[in-house]
Amino acid sequence: MSYERELLKGNTDCLLLSLVNCQPTYGYQIVKELQKRSDGYFQFKEGTLYPALHRLEKDKLIKGKWQTLPNGQERRYYYITKKGQQVLAKRLAAWHDFSTAVRAILQPETA
Amino acid sequence: MANKLGDYLDNVRACLKIDSAARGNVTREIRAHLEDRSQDLKKAGLSNEEANKTAVDIFGSPRLIANQLNAVHGQGTSQEAFLAALPHLLVAFLFATYYWQNVLCTSITVIVTAGIVVYGWFHDKPMWFFPWLGYYLLPVIVTGALLVYLHQGWSWIAALAYLPLALFAIAYVVKQTASRDWLYVSLMLAPLPIAYAWLLALGIGNEFLTSNTPLARLQVNTCGLVVSFLVLAIASFAFVRVGHRWCKVAILLIPLGIILISVALTGGGNVTFAGWLILIISLVAVASPAWLQLRT
Repeated sequence: MSYERELLKGNTDCLLLSLVNCQPTYGYQIVKELQKRSDGYFQFKEGTLYPALHRLEKDKLIKGKWQTLPNGQERRYYYITKKGQQVLAKRLAAWHDFSTAVRAILQPETA
Repeated sequence: MANKLGDYLDNVRACLKIDSAARGNVTREIRAHLEDRSQDLKKAGLSNEEANKTAVDIFGSPRLIANQLNAVHGQGTSQEAFLAALPHLLVAFLFATYYWQNVLCTSITVIVTAGIVVYGWFHDKPMWFFPWLGYYLLPVIVTGALLVYLHQGWSWIAALAYLPLALFAIAYVVKQTASRDWLYVSLMLAPLPIAYAWLLALGIGNEFLTSNTPLARLQVNTCGLVVSFLVLAIASFAFVRVGHRWCKVAILLIPLGIILISVALTGGGNVTFAGWLILIISLVAVASPAWLQLRT
């Protein structure tokens, strides 16, 4: 179990940047989207998302803005920055190379 | 149970050691998340109580999340770290160049420092501001220490008048700083034991007005004095850059302890038993926030 947790930990930034890159979004929507797209694979305490989001914001990879919905509810929407897009592109390229290399070793017949 | 979300948010808020603006943002954001989750759970058929309880359980331990947020927000940028190190660098510079003997240079430094302290005090007390604030406690403490050397009788009268005022000023500043974060009290107080140790080591006190010996000793030990403030500058820089709270404690207290022992040994026989006692007490005062950190 800890191996999966480590894998998730190592790729949290990439996953979050990818989701924010698709569309400006807020914390709760990110949690739901992660669970939906991964078919429930990613299980984590929802609160641990916020330190990760705030770290990305501190590194200027995303930017948070408060918005009030028509029903009066408030949401802090996150937008990806130019720097964030550049970092995401680099991470995706690195991930692609890495997964190709791993697959070539673990499943040589499909590589 | 109706207040489950409110209690949870209070717990998070109590564990957060970040500036008030960031704290407000964090709690607002967590509240929005918990309300959304609770709403969805109610739609799924849970009662109000069950939904709130489950939302909080799924969110995770308030202390764990607050600690992770503290680590993110407690880590300053390089610019903030440099600003935190700057007052110590200024002191080192004043002594290295002997500009401390120049009234104009010293006055400019004092005025600039005062301006920075006033700015920081009224701008949400950023982390880099606390070392600057510490230097404003220095005259209060040094004046108190020098009262001991007044003519017998006068020293008691002066001490009786001065001590309550000084203690009030120090307690007020410490309280204000602690309301932000206890660790910043350590950062703020760090220059005080070093300055006091140098005063003891150089024999400034009863010889202060009567001989040139302390000045001669100061010139001999200028290099050591400059190095001690440079080390403090590096420690303050690292303190701001590091995120984890226990690393901050170690980064500040270990160099401080080494500096104090080195300075006291430099003074040789000048440091009396009472001097050592006061030094130890001042080091304990600086280290006490770490103890409070252990308890929370």
